Amino acid sequence: MNNFDIPLAVNACSTDDLAKLQVFEKILKGNVEAILITDTRGDIEWVNNTFTAITGYPESEALDRNLGFLFAGGNNEYAALYPKLGEVNHHVAETHMFRKDGSKFPANVTLSAVRSSADMITHYVLEFSDITEFKHAQDELQQRTRELSRSNQELEQFAYVASHDLQEPLRMVASYTQLIAQRYRGKLDKDADEFIEFAVDGATRMQAIINDLLMLSRVGTRNVAFTRTDVKQSLDKALANLRLVIAESGADIVCEALLVLDADGSQLTQLFQNLIGNALKFRGDRAPQIKIGAVQQDGDWQFHVRDNGIGIAPEHFERIFLMFQRLHGKREYPGTGIGLTICKKIVERHGGRIWIESEAGKGTTFLFTIPIQQAE
Amino acid sequence: MDIDRLGRPADFLLVEDNPGDVRLTQEALKSHKVQNNLHVVTDGEEAMAFLHKQGKYKDAPRPDIILLDLNLPKKDGREVLAEIKSDPALKTIPVVIITSSEAEQDVIKSYNLNANCYVTKPVNLDQFIKVVQSINDFWLTIVKLPGNPD
Repeated sequence: MNNFDIPLAVNACSTDDLAKLQVFEKILKGNVEAILITDTRGDIEWVNNTFTAITGYPESEALDRNLGFLFAGGNNEYAALYPKLGEVNHHVAETHMFRKDGSKFPANVTLSAVRSSADMITHYVLEFSDITEFKHAQDELQQRTRELSRSNQELEQFAYVASHDLQEPLRMVASYTQLIAQRYRGKLDKDADEFIEFAVDGATRMQAIINDLLMLSRVGTRNVAFTRTDVKQSLDKALANLRLVIAESGADIVCEALLVLDADGSQLTQLFQNLIGNALKFRGDRAPQIKIGAVQQDGDWQFHVRDNGIGIAPEHFERIFLMFQRLHGKREYPGTGIGLTICKKIVERHGGRIWIESEAGKGTTFLFTIPIQQAE
Repeated sequence: MDIDRLGRPADFLLVEDNPGDVRLTQEALKSHKVQNNLHVVTDGEEAMAFLHKQGKYKDAPRPDIILLDLNLPKKDGREVLAEIKSDPALKTIPVVIITSSEAEQDVIKSYNLNANCYVTKPVNLDQFIKVVQSINDFWLTIVKLPGNPD
């Protein structure tokens, strides 16, 4: 007679206890996972309804049998799990189990021990679920991730090779049009001077665009692993790179981001340099006042770079992150329009997002997040 | 200034397969005040033939300085560099690697093979001219070169 004979237990209990026991049994019987209870040898003393639903074995065909018949490894599989219970309360594993019709299914199995008040193991409890669908979804996801990763790598290589190989012929066009301009300026007619000017200008802009594409593709291809990075150091480096512009614009810059996180330090420097550089460039008439800080929000560090410059109208917020999108003519403000694209790519590589708060004429705040803990 | 230091115009050997870059180097050196003799070969094998005074190069002068591109047909610039720097008769000639490659491994390899220095070809014309002229000034007017072992 095993311990889970409910009618016998009834005689020893009051009506209240009986009602409670019956509720508990109902809950366990209908639990979403299959539940098996065995003695210390592994012989089955109790199974719930879900066990039958998953395996096809009715209760009568499972009781008193050793649970080895359910596992591909037979008894040995069970025996392998057992020693692990000495140190931990339960052991979770993925394995394969057999149904009554002989078919196999992948299962997630949790094994735990029930101890007496003298801390001796009296029973084992096995809970499992059929994870066939879950495994399919997992495999599909892995496959899709592999394909995407391969496709990404190809694209990045393409961008890098294209920009890299375009450099040399472009150097020829740019250098020789400049040579012609230098050597023959004023010696041919006025039209020629103008034509040469347009050609040189075009070549120079092409060079700038190719350099930018190379820079952008490098954000993807020259990936170093994240390390503990002192944000202040990255910031300081960015400010050092901008020192000339900072000096000549009379900018006042306040940094309150004193924190350390897992990141690519040189990419952080590039990110800050682009954002602060923009704040300095689009300053309007006043001396720039730039504030940089960070707060913790929803598991992320949320950084802000706030300026008192010319501002951005909300209808442009999305567009300016696209490649080579500019809001001004090149005579008003220099630049090819790749800076924010690079910022977005760096932020996204770090698992964050970047957005803007601004109004035309009222300064701009760029905000971006980086998770406090990077995913493995 | 070159003439004061060497007592004669300097002999440059330019090893470069891109005719556009050859011409640019010529223009850059031409615009400098002093006369130099620029000898040009367009691949690695010709470079070694010039240096060993073989065949049509039997009367070639020993260059005072070699400007060497890395990516050359027939014999690669890295091989040429290795051969020059392991030849007792040639290894004292300064070799300036001037190439479009910015790759870190190319820089390291070149210095390991005892290149005297490594320069990346500037994209901008004015800078290109400035670089070539700086090479000229530095190696031929500031630096002391060993006497000819012949």
